[in-house]
Order: sequence, then structure tokens, then C-alpha cells
Amino acid sequence: MGRSDRSGSDNRQCVVEAVAMAGSRLERFGTVFSRVRDLMRSGVIKPTQKPIWYDVYQAFPPKREPLYVKPHSRPSTKRQEAVPDIFYREDDVRAKFYEQYGTGPRAFDPSKPNFVSTCQRFVDKYTELKSHSGLDDCALFEETGKALLKDGIVLRRRGAPPVSAESRDPVLELKLTDMLAEQQSMGAVSEETMEHTPHTSQTSAT
Amino acid sequence: MAARAMTRGILGLRHSRAVTFGYSCGGSHYATAASIKPPPPQNEDVSDKIMKLPLEKPDFFRVSELFSLKDLFDARVHLGHKKGCRHRLMEPYLYGCRLDQDIIDLDQTVEHFQQALNFTAHVAYRGGIILFVTRRRQFGHLVETTAKDCGEYAHTRYWQGGLLTNAPIQYGPGVRLPDLIVFLSTLNNVFQPHVGIRDAAKMNIPTVGVVDSNCNPSLVTYPVPGNDDTPAAIELYCRLFKMTINRAKDKRRQMELLHSLSAPSTPS
Repeated sequence: MGRSDRSGSDNRQCVVEAVAMAGSRLERFGTVFSRVRDLMRSGVIKPTQKPIWYDVYQAFPPKREPLYVKPHSRPSTKRQEAVPDIFYREDDVRAKFYEQYGTGPRAFDPSKPNFVSTCQRFVDKYTELKSHSGLDDCALFEETGKALLKDGIVLRRRGAPPVSAESRDPVLELKLTDMLAEQQSMGAVSEETMEHTPHTSQTSAT
Repeated sequence: MAARAMTRGILGLRHSRAVTFGYSCGGSHYATAASIKPPPPQNEDVSDKIMKLPLEKPDFFRVSELFSLKDLFDARVHLGHKKGCRHRLMEPYLYGCRLDQDIIDLDQTVEHFQQALNFTAHVAYRGGIILFVTRRRQFGHLVETTAKDCGEYAHTRYWQGGLLTNAPIQYGPGVRLPDLIVFLSTLNNVFQPHVGIRDAAKMNIPTVGVVDSNCNPSLVTYPVPGNDDTPAAIELYCRLFKMTINRAKDKRRQMELLHSLSAPSTPS
């Protein structure tokens, strides 16, 4: 009983709503607006069924009509680079800084809006010194390093400096296994080895 | 399954409102103010004035005051994806490429966003249904709460094929479809264009969408080039949409009160 009533009211609703929005489902042909406009002009959509957004779109159309763009399937010929790379003059300085000093003593904190990193301070100081004095790049680099040292930022060079053969202490060449074998073989000369091993252990620790 | 029941419940609520529209507002053209009870009879010219007046001003709801370029920058809206992920059609919206990462042009974003918010405000003013869609699970809850706070709808779950195109069968006859769909991210979980964009175009529903540098903006009616991955950016978008819609609805109530007060003076 209730069911038949419901279906009756549903039918009435269908009559009210079913005629609404006869549409065209061709999303690749024209824009949403052009299709609705043409349907209204031809009388398929009655003026009473005009969509809510129609007048708003007419008053404030978008910058670009939302037409469907076909994707190019063929391998495209080399077209010119549409999006330029962003480089600044200070990037030379930044590159040299990162090469020599690594990231620097203080870690980046991108959550702070006005955060100035070590590299940025270096670059600022570099540009400042460049405007004052007319030194060349390498000297200016050193000067900036010294200036930052004065401010209290210690810049440690990245990577070990290249080591020459002569400067190396010959004692460091000794391996502990060899020393142990020596010690065991020369068990009688224990005094000298006792003196010797603390000395070598110290030097090998450094 | 639960999602389907939820959306059915949501669209079912609208369904009951649609019923009252069919019977009571015989004379007026468009779906007017959202209320369960039939709206009080108004003069034709009063309702016309309410509808036409906002369209005459370029920024009736003053959406341009809601955000600035600095706000967009602080929310990291300008950060796009890497150069390899770039979509060909997004190239006009990009400012440049910094160390292989695309930077979106915020000047263009400001203009597009203002247009999009303006459109949303006008649709909300006229009592349109707005559906928020995103398939980013990270922001699903945020988008749902945003929709709830402004009295609109959200669909952040799996998009069934016939949701818009087969709605009368899936949700019952006489269901009212959304008048605007807002995409907080136009991609789905496998980095392909969301089906909803194509379906909305098929059903002649305008869309507003945040398009990142790897998205296809061609079918979106009012694209907003911007970052769709950072939580800060998405929170900004949600906040701004919520504020616009609430502002538009408040304005509508205000206009109706204003004109219904002056209505008795005009002859019916």
C-alpha cells in the first residue's frame, strides 16, 4: 500500500525532474557553456531549466575556454624550451660554497619564513664585499670566509686536503699485527717494546 | 559500501529538498534559497534583483581580499613537481624551472584563484550544490570537514563509474546533481586524471580544480594552477573555499532580508 503510494509520488517526481537536464554528453566537443547555450537556443533545454551557473559563467567567463585538447600521440619534434631555467648571478658563489664547505654548520629550517641559511649569509657578505672592493673571485672568496669567521661562523672545509707522501709520519705505516708479531718474537726485549708500544699506540690513535 | 551509503544519504537529503522545489516554486526560474520548508512567495522583480545585482559588480563578494600573493607563497603553492613529470598543457602556467623543479607562476595563480572563488561564491549565493572531490587520502578528512562546515558536500572515496552519469539509477529517480564540483586534486591515486573531470564535462557541470604541474587542465572550467601535495597549500585552499561559500550564503540571507523588508512597499 505504502509502496504503491511511493511509486505514485515517484512518478510525479519523475515528471518534474526527468525533463530536467536533457544534456549532451560530448565532453570533447566545445565547452560546457557552449553546449548548454546551443541546447537552449535550439529549445532542448527550456528557459525554466536553465542551470544555476549559466548566468554566472556568462558574466564571469574563465581566462581560457575549457576546450578538450587532444593529446599528441606521435613522437613530438623538438620544440623550443617553453619553460626557462631559473638561475641567479649568486648561483656561482653558491656552487663554489657548497663545493668547498659542504652544507655548512647550521642545518636548513624551511619552516621558518625568513630563515637565512649559512650559504645565504655567505652570498650576502660576498656581494657586499664585491661592491666595496674590486678583488678577484678567489681572493674575495677567502675574504668572505674570514669575515664570517669574525661573525662567529666557523666554516669547515669539506673532505680531507690532499696528503703528500713526505709529510706522513713513517710510524703510521706500521700495522698493529706486525707490531704484535714483533712483540711476541722479541719477548726478551720487553722493556723496549713496553716503551715503544704506548708511544706507537698514541701516534696511531692520532 | 559505507561510502556509497554516505553519498546516497547526502544526495537523498537533497532529493527531499528537490521535491519541494518541484511543487512550490512554480513561478521563479532557478533553485532559490536552501530551506526545507517552501520559501515565502516573493515578487518577481525582487527575486530578479537579488539574482542580477551580484552579477553587475566585478567582485561582489570581495574574494580578492581573502588572500594575497604572499599567503600563496608562504603556503608553498608555487612548488610544482620535477621537470620529468611536467604536463605539456601546464607550461603556460609555469614561471620557470629551478634545478629541475617546476615553479608555478603565482601572478597567474592569483588571477585564476580569484576567478574560481568568485564563481564559487556566485554559485553558492544562488543556492547551488557544491561537491568537493579529492582522491588524496592524506587530505580526505580535512576536505570532508571543510564541506561540512560550509554546508556543502564532499566525495573523497572511490569514484564509482556511474556516480554522475548513472545517478538516477544509482541514487533513485529525481536526484539533483551538483551544480559545481571543486577538485582539490585533479589526479586519482594512480596519477591519472580523475574520472570526475570528464564526467562533469559530460553532464555539463562546471568544475573548479587545483591543477599541479603534472595535471591536465584542459577540461577544468576554472583551473587554479598550484601545489596540491603540501598540507599547508591544501589547508589554505580549504580555508579559502569555506570562507567564500559562507560569505556568499550570508550575503544571500542578508539580501533576502533586505528585500523582503522593502517588498511590502512594492505592489504585487
